[in-house]
Amino acid sequence: MSRLVILTLGLAGCFFYLPIVVLGIFSFNAASTMAFPLSGFTLSWYADLFGNKAFLSGFITSFLIAQPVGVLGALIGLMAALAVTSPRLKFRVAFAVLILVPFLVPKTVLSIAQAMLMNWVGLGRGATALILAQTLVAIPFTTTIIAAVMVRLDPRLEEAARDLGATPWQSFRRVLLPQLSTALSAAYSIGVILSLADLTVSMFLAGRTQPLSLIVASEFRRELKPDLNAMQVAVLVLTALIVALTEFNRRRRLRGRLAHGRDDR
Amino acid sequence: MAPVFHRGQLAIPVTCILMLGCIFPLALLAVFSVFEVDLDAFTLVPAFSGQNWVQMFTNPVFAFLIGKAVVSGAGTAVLAAIIGYPIAVSMTRLPVLWKGVGSIVLLTPLYTGEIVRIYAWRVVLGSEGLINATLKWLGAISEPLKFLLFSPFTTHLVLLYNNLPFMVLAIWISAELIDKRLIEAARDLGARPIDAFFKIILPLTTPGLAVGVFTVFALAAGDMMTPSLLGGTSGATPMAMIDNLFGTAFDWPLASALSLSLLVVLLVFATGFVGVLLRFDGARAVFRRGAR
Repeated sequence: MSRLVILTLGLAGCFFYLPIVVLGIFSFNAASTMAFPLSGFTLSWYADLFGNKAFLSGFITSFLIAQPVGVLGALIGLMAALAVTSPRLKFRVAFAVLILVPFLVPKTVLSIAQAMLMNWVGLGRGATALILAQTLVAIPFTTTIIAAVMVRLDPRLEEAARDLGATPWQSFRRVLLPQLSTALSAAYSIGVILSLADLTVSMFLAGRTQPLSLIVASEFRRELKPDLNAMQVAVLVLTALIVALTEFNRRRRLRGRLAHGRDDR
Repeated sequence: MAPVFHRGQLAIPVTCILMLGCIFPLALLAVFSVFEVDLDAFTLVPAFSGQNWVQMFTNPVFAFLIGKAVVSGAGTAVLAAIIGYPIAVSMTRLPVLWKGVGSIVLLTPLYTGEIVRIYAWRVVLGSEGLINATLKWLGAISEPLKFLLFSPFTTHLVLLYNNLPFMVLAIWISAELIDKRLIEAARDLGARPIDAFFKIILPLTTPGLAVGVFTVFALAAGDMMTPSLLGGTSGATPMAMIDNLFGTAFDWPLASALSLSLLVVLLVFATGFVGVLLRFDGARAVFRRGAR
């Protein structure tokens, strides 16, 4: 039985990582066509990357857009999670469905509808529109992450704070928020990652702003070149770094809490 | 003192944001769908014209495209369920420490951008890509297999790749919630592993299966980039047509009518699938336990 489990998971892992590994291999391959057999090791595609002005400026644009998306996504996600886990919320199912709307409606349709609205009220498309639209797309993810942690918290801590005379704000600030800090940083990371990875929303709402994904997509339609491989690997490594840092942060805090006990906060 | 504040009230600002940012633009589609276009002035003329809706119901192109999206989404959801099920059940058998690793391994491909994934699959499936080169080296083929890239096969393989993690996650969570004593009891009473699976695990995971099918169907049917960049001549989707009508043809009213029709059809099918899955006894049992 156990061997079957290992086999299943091994095959699944291969399927999930096959394209990513192939991408990585070709980014070090010394040939300008992407074909097997491989022809040797090179770092020149990565060197080209740093000389490419369009890529660099696209990367900076994407990075600057991703920051507010992460922060806003985490903040709105926090509010939504507080609301959806509240025992006193009415229409809970309707509210949960509403939160999932940006996830379930095809992104093309949603973005075009938003673009039409922006045009109709006379606001141009551009960085602001892009940030707002990407934040909406991030909300289902950030809310789920924060709410998943929130339902596992001990409600007695908050009740105790209230019994001891804390105002709702004090009990939130001193009791709930410290327990949610890792969930919040995870939500911020997801917002940043979704923003960096996004293409569809950018296509319709970026206006004259040129995030990296749009530049890559237009290159992609023309030809495949190994410097694009190197670029994708760089983006992937950055993403993996964000995931790893978030996870590391979580473990560190967990260990800290175990070592000092929970009361000294 | 001010009226008592409780955190459920935070739903109000969030609802406002989502209403303004998502529901209002989608509702606006209904308004635009009855407008007319003045192509000379390049503006929209407010009107009350049913002409776009007449087109929507009479021109078979629209029904064909929407139908194609539904079939493609449903096919991907069924494939994802069949392939995702054993993966999810295997993950429940992992030791606790490995479950954390498993969830990271499962979720990381989700974080890569659409364009990265599409790009990577082009390298794998191309005529000189990994698969063809390997088969050639093994001597299994002499000419590269052409159907691997720019075909319905490619589209559905990549749609499956994009959406499988959502299915695995949904089934995995609901399988973890099963009371292990139920399975032990069944085994003690002489049930074979296969019986325990069909009588206990499968029925009790139908809610997870329903969530997975709903999600994968909605995402796969609504994906524009994968079919248009990897499907070749078979890559036409209602979303690409909406994009064309909106951007190139400046026919916003028709684009709006098509968008709304697509949304309604997808919603009807998605809730239909979920409704069928939740009719099984297992799902009812799970909800009764949850309600208690």
